[in-house]
Amino acid sequence: MKKWPDKSNIRILCSLIFILLALPPGWKEITGLSAWLSPFIMLNSVILLKSLVWLNSLGLIILILCWFNKRWFCRTMCPVGLACDAVSKFKIRKNFSLGRIPRIGRWLAIISLGAALTGIPLFILLDPISIFNSFFSVFSKELSIVAILSFSGLPLLLLINIFFPGIWCARICPLGGLQDELIEIKAAFYKKRPRDINHKKAISAGRRIFVAWGAGVISGLIIPGWLKSSSASYFKPPASIEKNMFNTLCIRCGNCIKACPSKIIIHHSDKSDPVSWMTPEISFKSYGYCLEDCNLCGAVCPSGAISPFSITAKKDLFIASIEIDLEKCLLTNQTECERCKTVCSYDAILIIQGDLPLIMKPSVDFRKCVGCGACAAACPPLVIKMVPPVINSCYG
Amino acid sequence: MKRRDFVTNIMLTSGALGLGISCNRKIKPSDTENTHPEISNSGDGRTITEPARQIPVLAETDVLVIGGGPAGTAAAIAAARTGVETWLVERYNHLGGLWTGGLVLPLLSTHAIDKQKRWKQVIYGIGGEMWDRLKKLNMSIDSFNPVIDPEAGKYILDEMISEAGINMLYHAWAVNSIMDGNLIRGVIVESKSGRMAILAKVVIDCTGDGDVFHRAGENYSTMKYHIGLVHRLGNTDRINSKVPGFTKMNIGNPTPIPGVNWVNMRGKDDQDGIDVMNLSQLQMEYRKEIWENYEKIKQTPGYEEVFLLDTAPQIGVRMSRILDGRYKLTLEDSMTYRSFDDAIGISGAWTTILYNGKRVSRNERPMWQIPYRSLLPKKTENLLVAGRCFCFEEGLVEDTRIIGTCLVTGQGAGAAAGLAIKEGKKLKDIDTKKLKNLLLKQGVWFG
Repeated sequence: MKKWPDKSNIRILCSLIFILLALPPGWKEITGLSAWLSPFIMLNSVILLKSLVWLNSLGLIILILCWFNKRWFCRTMCPVGLACDAVSKFKIRKNFSLGRIPRIGRWLAIISLGAALTGIPLFILLDPISIFNSFFSVFSKELSIVAILSFSGLPLLLLINIFFPGIWCARICPLGGLQDELIEIKAAFYKKRPRDINHKKAISAGRRIFVAWGAGVISGLIIPGWLKSSSASYFKPPASIEKNMFNTLCIRCGNCIKACPSKIIIHHSDKSDPVSWMTPEISFKSYGYCLEDCNLCGAVCPSGAISPFSITAKKDLFIASIEIDLEKCLLTNQTECERCKTVCSYDAILIIQGDLPLIMKPSVDFRKCVGCGACAAACPPLVIKMVPPVINSCYG
Repeated sequence: MKRRDFVTNIMLTSGALGLGISCNRKIKPSDTENTHPEISNSGDGRTITEPARQIPVLAETDVLVIGGGPAGTAAAIAAARTGVETWLVERYNHLGGLWTGGLVLPLLSTHAIDKQKRWKQVIYGIGGEMWDRLKKLNMSIDSFNPVIDPEAGKYILDEMISEAGINMLYHAWAVNSIMDGNLIRGVIVESKSGRMAILAKVVIDCTGDGDVFHRAGENYSTMKYHIGLVHRLGNTDRINSKVPGFTKMNIGNPTPIPGVNWVNMRGKDDQDGIDVMNLSQLQMEYRKEIWENYEKIKQTPGYEEVFLLDTAPQIGVRMSRILDGRYKLTLEDSMTYRSFDDAIGISGAWTTILYNGKRVSRNERPMWQIPYRSLLPKKTENLLVAGRCFCFEEGLVEDTRIIGTCLVTGQGAGAAAGLAIKEGKKLKDIDTKKLKNLLLKQGVWFG
């Protein structure tokens, strides 16, 4: 009899919690909280943005635990690891051995962090928790080819593991690689090594870190230039960082999509712009709007692509702008209506004298209109169109 | 553990904690703007003391209704039909208030959807009777939210008042409430005949501006809203759109009289509807604007024969005081089919709103019940409030200030007053089941 809680039992329990947290519809503030636990996402985000938020300390705590216990995260929490172990048991190829395959994960981790320093968290999308959460995020919205592509991450990974048992966790996973490197660094730090690591290995570790970091820093300078997304404009959640950086930092976990109470955040799926696939986009088509008392998308974003913001700051975060078709506006046709003014939480709509005497018309104060879409949703004849913001956000 | 390891661990942990504590990447707002200073329009603060004087008592009645708009008319008729003596006081020379005298001709909102999502007529009872009479006279158009002819409206309201045996007092302003502790003994009215008192067992405040409850010392909130002035244009059927130089002008919407259109005016924002100086200024401004607009229309090719029929006798104050009553009706109540034990009727909705972040268009708006408690002030025991100033939250204002709702609250208040007097009970103690039965008998629809 194993004693309980056994480590494998804890991992099953953690995986269940991870699944619960990742399921749509979201859990308000704790939607996809599990993604904050990944030290790889945390380090990439912190190094790229050069700033921290409170929830980053979750990843930091895990990092510290991994410092003291080798691969602590993999062994106690990782749901992807659990799934990989499970499918690896099929052992389709009985004579397969991992021995000759290089440990790519370590390289990926260090290159990614190096690149994050200069501009792009290169392999952040390979983070297992990101893959895990994006798998579940697809179910929150209708399926499209782009959604299926994102959905395929986890099944693909499991498929590889059936044919090459254990290859993901031991060789490819950058989160695992990061934890391995951490132990190496710890060894160098204490100037003594565990028995299984000899002097030669230590030198190679030092070289590897140096070369990988350098390669990362250089690629961080070069690659963002290649990954310019198309200039076609679409609406981003409030407090999104600058678009090109957003596309690289966003881990496509879908937390914001699940958390959004008015369900206006959808997966961006412009076929001509693969760089931005699966990133969040605001769609006003369902006549929802960005609620004046909500900042969940910023609060649940584990990578910091959407910055946390206070509710009172919403008046400075421009999502879009509006265009009113005055020809069809009820008020300019002398019908009793000012729904747009009534619903505007930012006092951006004024009713002013129209072009003809007696006729009043709505007018927009673009310094105040953040483009939340409330007026467009409330307009009885639906003549308010959402257009790209006239003013860019103060952030990003 | 060696000392050195221990120190290293401590340093690492505290460093990590330090990083964690400095977590404050969050976008905070820029400085908030100053609020606008309040501009007061009241005079220079000088006062005089009016000498005390004896005032003749014009009448002693059971129910006294102040204000002859849709609410007041419905209240007076409902009360009189229960068999109690009723007086109705109106400041102008017609009944119907803004509906007729304000030329706000559409009877909103006659319809809404029920729980099974069926589009249903909700305005029945006395309001429904008025509509039926107008239909018989061919003086209402459209099968829902009908537009009526104002003169026909005034006529049928007079007719209904006479049939109900109500004592009608035109050309008289209610200027004060006669208070006796928590009781209102009557109201002082001012007219060409001088100052007079009308004493009553129950007073119903249907002034729209809440003049009576204000004088009775009730708590209320005030709402500044846009004020307009409606006018009518004649010969709109003689517009020739084929002449060269014809351009489309705003000539309003049709009324039951062929060739006559009513033209709504939104008017200026944030106007004080109980400041007489403001009202006077707006009145002149608006009349000038309307005339200038009419001249412009007349000079446009094709519009030569159009003429300005009239500007409304009453300026269009949309909102002013709102009572702080025993129950504040909320937008949520109106959107969730909230059912009240003491419901006095059901009203509809006429415009699109946002509710819980979602668009709810006019055709999807639920019917909503109005509770009797929303008509009851907190202090005064024998006062009822009906019309646009009963107790509701501001989010519901578009649906409470309209004619249909005024007709429903008016009839509820009138019937409740009659019932309380007949049973010798206080207004707040009447049996709401009996009230509902009475209203059902009077034709009110409860779904």
